[in-house]
Amino acid sequence: MVSEMKSPLEVRGLSKNYPAFRLQDISFSLVPGSITGFIGRNGAGKTTTINSMLSFVHPDGGEIAFFGLPFAEHEAEIKEKIGFVSAGMTYYTRKKLKAITAVTKTFYPGWDDAAYRKYMDAFGLDENKTPAELSNGMKIKYALALALSHGAELLILDEPTSGLDPVSREELVEVFLNLKDEGKTVFFSTHITSDLEKCADRILFLQQGCLKADDTLDSFRDAWQIAECAGEIPPALAQAARGTCRTRGGYTVLVRAEDAEGFETREASLEEIMIHLEKEAEKE
Amino acid sequence: MKMLMKEWKLCMHPMGYIMLLCAALILVPGYPYGVTCFYMGLAIFFICLEARENHDAAYTLTLPVSRRDAVKGRILFCTVLEVIDLLLIALFILIKQLIGGPRNPAGLDAGVALIGEALIIFAIFNMIFFPVYYSDINKPGKAFVFAAAAVFLWILLEIAGTYTVPFLRDALDQPDPANMSDKLLFTLAGLALFLGGTAKSVQMSAKKFEALDLSL
Repeated sequence: MVSEMKSPLEVRGLSKNYPAFRLQDISFSLVPGSITGFIGRNGAGKTTTINSMLSFVHPDGGEIAFFGLPFAEHEAEIKEKIGFVSAGMTYYTRKKLKAITAVTKTFYPGWDDAAYRKYMDAFGLDENKTPAELSNGMKIKYALALALSHGAELLILDEPTSGLDPVSREELVEVFLNLKDEGKTVFFSTHITSDLEKCADRILFLQQGCLKADDTLDSFRDAWQIAECAGEIPPALAQAARGTCRTRGGYTVLVRAEDAEGFETREASLEEIMIHLEKEAEKE
Repeated sequence: MKMLMKEWKLCMHPMGYIMLLCAALILVPGYPYGVTCFYMGLAIFFICLEARENHDAAYTLTLPVSRRDAVKGRILFCTVLEVIDLLLIALFILIKQLIGGPRNPAGLDAGVALIGEALIIFAIFNMIFFPVYYSDINKPGKAFVFAAAAVFLWILLEIAGTYTVPFLRDALDQPDPANMSDKLLFTLAGLALFLGGTAKSVQMSAKKFEALDLSL
């Protein structure tokens, strides 16, 4: 049974089988008013997880509850409280934003025109433009403006920063931080981990359809250290290694923090942890 | 109503308006008038194609509506277009009767029975197109091929029937107001098939769409 706690999103034992891919026993729960980064390489199952959460695809097992309510029985009620934004998807590219907004607002009893104006102004969006005339970053901002204007408390974002230049990504990260300050919960899938270093409170790490980590960003990073080797990896370090990568000057080796004693190591970035673990998983 | 407005404002393809004008083909002498209804099917195909290209399903399913509501909205909108088409067909039948002219050698004459025929064609289209379409919304072409094939087969049978089937030839394919009770009965049967068939289509389509894993 899904617990009574009113987490904005609680997933228990989610699984989905495809002929060439399996999403296995995914369980996690979001903390209200936090930013959770959902990381993993392309094909790890991030989008499948999100699609299953939103019932775009039918999971083979598991339970999903938003705000303590099972999705299937409370679909409309839940959808009024969440906003979904996907970078790869643009709706009605030749329609003016004001036409899309005019239709969208009719579906939400709690639509707030003042909030809509506020976000459109804050994001610098012109209602007379079409999505085709917007940059990728602006499209994401428009989708966010729509979601926030109907009072979404949970924002689910699928790869929102993919394909954006560093400045646009930085702008979006700031937007997410501002939303967090407003008490919104943000669930943010990405393979661009540097964005999460700036804003995430928690990290979910998905690898080959399995959830490998569910932790705070700091704890997740503190659990790992990087050793840099010029030339060959010493045998003792090789034994402690949880992943190695070639560099111009030799190798970088990922080790668990508790195994790092005796080696010269430094803090590992989120990206380094993900890359090393993925490379190790490939070998297995 | 919200879904109807959404379909009209965001999904309506210009071909929908253009194909409504094809009702004027009733004025063309020697034309298989059932084909005018096929053009509305073509418009519906374009609407579904436009919806696919604009990620309409993904947009709609993020709104606070169920998949069943999404299906009902689309089919109801297309049914409204068909009803408008029927009204235009009725108007052009009236104009054609006022103008007069030779009998139609390619199927039913422009008369009351043709409205019944149009209702049957729309019913056939709706019963085949939407359930096939909602079994894979990324392939509206497949649904259209199946539905169009069934519609054309029916039109061919109807044309042949006006030469070979006594009820069609001697009762329905006669200038109005002859055999009006038979024609009205036929039109009422068409209306029942249109309403029942479309309702069944909604049911089947919703079931298929609810079971579908969407690759959005």
